[in-house]
Amino acid sequence: MPAALDLPNLPDADVARLAQQGREPAFRELVRRYERPVFSLVFRMVRDTATAEDLAQDTFIKVLNHIDKYRPEFKFSSWLFKIANNVAIDHLRRRHLDTISMDGAPNAATAADIEATSFDIADRSESALEVMEAKELGSSIEKAIGALRPEYRACIMLRHVEGRSYEEIAATLDLPLGTVKTYIHRARHQLREALEHLRE
Amino acid sequence: MQHRHLLPNEIDLLLDGDAGFGGAPLRTHVDSCADCRARLDEARVVADALERLPHFAPRTGFADRVLSHVQIVEPWHVAALGTARRFVPESRPLRALALAGVAVTSVAISASAVWIVLSANLTVGSASIVAGRVREMAIGGVQQGLAMVLGVGAAETLRASGTMAIALAGVALVAAAGLATLGFRALASASRQRGS
Repeated sequence: MPAALDLPNLPDADVARLAQQGREPAFRELVRRYERPVFSLVFRMVRDTATAEDLAQDTFIKVLNHIDKYRPEFKFSSWLFKIANNVAIDHLRRRHLDTISMDGAPNAATAADIEATSFDIADRSESALEVMEAKELGSSIEKAIGALRPEYRACIMLRHVEGRSYEEIAATLDLPLGTVKTYIHRARHQLREALEHLRE
Repeated sequence: MQHRHLLPNEIDLLLDGDAGFGGAPLRTHVDSCADCRARLDEARVVADALERLPHFAPRTGFADRVLSHVQIVEPWHVAALGTARRFVPESRPLRALALAGVAVTSVAISASAVWIVLSANLTVGSASIVAGRVREMAIGGVQQGLAMVLGVGAAETLRASGTMAIALAGVALVAAAGLATLGFRALASASRQRGS
């Protein structure tokens, strides 16, 4: 009977199967298990708490509204991280476009007009990020991760924070295994360089 | 024994613990080469720092906010099973009673089905008897007609030849009557044309 189920001790696939049967506690259990990993991954990708929360929420809504499409032969967490990564990457692409389009109003004719109407989201978010890092993170490694390319960030997070194998990362991010190895190698190299000042 | 420094991917192999059988010479080299050992240690410092990174938590009530946007749908077969389960009594004696009731109902339904099938067989049997009677009457009528036209002797011979012969004779008789009618009509119209 549903009431007798020990949801916290069931494997992901079983909880997902119960969610497919429309059991609300199973949906809640899946969110409880993965809200922190998903939020952390997305946060380290987009570097903004409020945006990360919105994107993490979107990730769960997408996954749980399509729970009927989940196949237990795949890892539930891989599916979830794949959606989370896609949502974060899409957001970063859109934000990149926004930054370009706000490089001064389109009808600005003079240099003074351009200066008056332009503002740089990247600079603004960087200063907010610095404040946030000082308050919330305060760690050099977090800052170094923020400087990595988004695709490197996703790979290095999945490898070292989530403890995924190279093969799992390749499957999760839809990347060739060799590409994943290259990204992780380059990310480690960049992080080593970024943290070099701490050893001196 | 390795006589060259480790390549970056070999440092990664040692770091990930994925070096396999090829790992022994790499480790031997690292033990004897201060430069490579320092590079591996640097890489380990970064990997350890990454692995110590915490998970951040979203604001309280995250699950509620997510679930308020999720449509929880119970598939029809699960709903049907749930409805059926609601009719199962909690106590053991009542469950036994309900089971007996279900068994009696099932037997009654099965018996009714068998009766309907048997009744259908009876109906089919009756219909075939009626069809046989009609066939005999038709054959009798044809025989009487043949006896009148061809005589009793010929009719008896046909009867002895079987149903098929009687049917063929009947058809031949009807065809002959038809041809005779057409012939008479042709003769009558020819005599009318001559008269006019």
